[in-house]
Amino acid sequence: MTVFKFSLKRSFSNKTNLLLLTLFPIAFIFFPEGEYWPVLPYGYQYFGIVLLFISIRLTTIILVDRAKGVVKRLAVAPISYGSYLCQNLLAFSVILVMQCAIVVYGGVLLGVELYQPHWLMLLYVSFSFTSLAIALAWISIFRSKESAFLIYMSLVTLLAILGGLLMPLQIFPEALIRIAVLFPTYWLNQGMSWIASEGSVGDFILINGVLWLYTIIFMILGSTRKIH
Amino acid sequence: MKAIKEPTLYIHGWRFLQIGLLMHVWIVGDLGFRAFILILLLLILTSLRWRFRLPVWSVLLDVLLCLLLFPYTDIHYVALAIPMFELALRGKWMLSLLLVAGFSLLHALHVIDSTIDLIFWYHLHAFLFGCFSWLTIKSQQSYKREADEQRKARAELERIKMDLLEANHSAIHHAELMERYRISRQLHDHLGHDLTGALLATQAYEYVKDSEEGDKLLAEVRQRLERSTVSLREAVHNVTPTAMIGVERLDYIISSFQHKDIAFYKSGDMLLVSAYMWGLLEACLKEALTNVARHSDATKVKVDLQVTESIVRLSIHDNGSVTAGSHEGSGLRGLKLRARSIGGSLSVNRQDGFLVVCVIPLEKVGGADEATNRR
Amino acid sequence: MRVLSTVKFTLLRMLRNFIVLLLLLIVPIVLISLFSLILSGAVTDTGEPYLKQPAVSLVLCFQLFGGSTVMYMIHSELFTEHRARMQMLPISLTMYAFSIMLCGVVYSVMLGVILMTFTQFVLGLIWEHWLWTIYLITLMAILSSVVYLVFMFAVKVYKTAERLSEVYGIGFILLAGLFFPMPDHAFFRFMGSYGNPLTLSTIAIHEMSMNNTSKAWFAANILLAATIILFLVMMVVGRRRFMRDRV
Repeated sequence: MTVFKFSLKRSFSNKTNLLLLTLFPIAFIFFPEGEYWPVLPYGYQYFGIVLLFISIRLTTIILVDRAKGVVKRLAVAPISYGSYLCQNLLAFSVILVMQCAIVVYGGVLLGVELYQPHWLMLLYVSFSFTSLAIALAWISIFRSKESAFLIYMSLVTLLAILGGLLMPLQIFPEALIRIAVLFPTYWLNQGMSWIASEGSVGDFILINGVLWLYTIIFMILGSTRKIH
Repeated sequence: MKAIKEPTLYIHGWRFLQIGLLMHVWIVGDLGFRAFILILLLLILTSLRWRFRLPVWSVLLDVLLCLLLFPYTDIHYVALAIPMFELALRGKWMLSLLLVAGFSLLHALHVIDSTIDLIFWYHLHAFLFGCFSWLTIKSQQSYKREADEQRKARAELERIKMDLLEANHSAIHHAELMERYRISRQLHDHLGHDLTGALLATQAYEYVKDSEEGDKLLAEVRQRLERSTVSLREAVHNVTPTAMIGVERLDYIISSFQHKDIAFYKSGDMLLVSAYMWGLLEACLKEALTNVARHSDATKVKVDLQVTESIVRLSIHDNGSVTAGSHEGSGLRGLKLRARSIGGSLSVNRQDGFLVVCVIPLEKVGGADEATNRR
Repeated sequence: MRVLSTVKFTLLRMLRNFIVLLLLLIVPIVLISLFSLILSGAVTDTGEPYLKQPAVSLVLCFQLFGGSTVMYMIHSELFTEHRARMQMLPISLTMYAFSIMLCGVVYSVMLGVILMTFTQFVLGLIWEHWLWTIYLITLMAILSSVVYLVFMFAVKVYKTAERLSEVYGIGFILLAGLFFPMPDHAFFRFMGSYGNPLTLSTIAIHEMSMNNTSKAWFAANILLAATIILFLVMMVVGRRRFMRDRV
């Protein structure tokens, strides 16, 4: 588990990341509530976007490794690429899950109205894995950390708008709502609506299942080993 | 750019476009979530196919997914194009055709109901593209194999050529040694024998007082000397080649080349150059002059042969205009190889006329030994 | 004016940076098209299309980030990579810095105008006062370059300055209440109105379209005053930084 340990250490190594990984999610607890939209407080509505951003910041470690030729050295080291990738992803997911826990249970402690915090936690965890997989697939295309991050920002904005995280889906035209279903952010949004409305558990499992299917797809696409 | 020419790119492109098509059908078709899950599952299979080479039976998974997820909608029928394509891609085109035919039969008998009338043509198209991809990949593989074999054969030929050149070199060396040995044996056996006899006879003559005996000895000495003169003449006559060699040969070639104004300069001790080097120099000169006569518009040719203690350098320079498309012929390439095999080099320069320079290092007597001693 | 000959190359270098073009031109175009798709045809009570408000905000929002090119170029030309080379040249470095800044502002305004043209001619949104809007875009562009440069001069580490500039951009968008309404507090009220360049310019454009010329000029003049003050600050900080680095 050496890679795991160092991946954790590297994630917290620079100041920006330290701020982003600790104080940033806490700030989201204090965001105000909306009047009729969104159903959860703004901080929780936008937390999905935060997860997307944090995932790309974390996964750039793999990109940097590739750019610096660490992956090439790993190819001759007595460690398989699969194990390297798994340990890294494990470290990232540990960080993301901890953040989800901070945001959800911190909110509970401070008395924010979260309807069903445990289900919300589950939803966030599912989405953290999805966003991690998306980020992994995304960085596998790029060679430079900066361009990967900047272009991803624009992509995330589009994902967030089309998935209904930034604007209520109700005002979308009919065709756009059908298209929105294709985005993982839509399912996060659906999950949050479910939490506020208390539907049947089957629906919630379906929502999480779709997120996991997305996770598998992007994980397969992103797990290629590229050596430049 | 290289990736664009790979057939696998287009195969993956088709696979992902198929998923895109399914999504399109889902969006316009107002279909339920089960159909959406089907798309996601097929997408997983497609990405697995992108990443790994799945076994043929994995096509069963696609078929099962299409058949098991009720209720049937257009998406299921469109998605059936995926197994049809995959089967054809793996060369199981009979199975694929069976699937197409079976589906269209069921469709014709109204056992299954699709709102897309042209679905048969779509499936046929998927099948054909699968077959085409299969053939493309097959032929690509065979071309690759063939190219590898050709490359291997060419490498072997090159090696044999180099071996032959080396063998040629050593054969020349051996011939020289044999010749030397033959001359020395001839001198020793005939000339040497008679001369020694004559010498002994003259020494004996000093001690002989009897004049008759002395005359006899003298006659023998004369006879021996006469015989050795004949023997010497024969030996020299046998040794002297009837063909021209060395610099004379070059002179002869140049004088017999009448097309252009040609000048020949030479300097240095021509005897330092071994026979096999003359062979190369002669070939160079001939090739260059033939090129001038055949391809060039040159009017003047300058041939310069310099022999120093360590190298011999032959340059042939003409004033022909340079043609852009000119490239090295097989003659010059072969000469380069030959020059390299004896440690020399041949270079060509096209600026300001056409210039061929051949440089061959001369082996110093005992040079190799000196080098090893110094080390 | 030897500096003039560099302007062409400065502009070319800015145009060649495709990521900036993507982020500051393509992304807003896609976003505004998406908004127009979502809000297709909806109008407010006053008969103004709903799209108008996000369009104005978008055009101005992206001006907040327009200073990044200037910051990057000045940093590489005068402080790090090309610093020694630039000092060798027989040109006035102050003028050169200004030319870079001017180019950055022109570039940023140009992107804004392209966006306006796109919304008017493709999406059919009418901008009433083109010149007034361009004036405000220019003010925003200048302000953003000045602010970015102040950050760069005042902070030692370039990365920190970059982070600060991101905070400036995103912070003012947040404070303007574009993502969610800010809590009702004197500080947030101030930062959501007269303390925020984004809202100031939005107000100016809005009031002008309502024909409230005096209110519009008032908002614009506050922006102008802020720009001038920050410009002086930038001059002082920049000179000190440049002199200190020289030793």
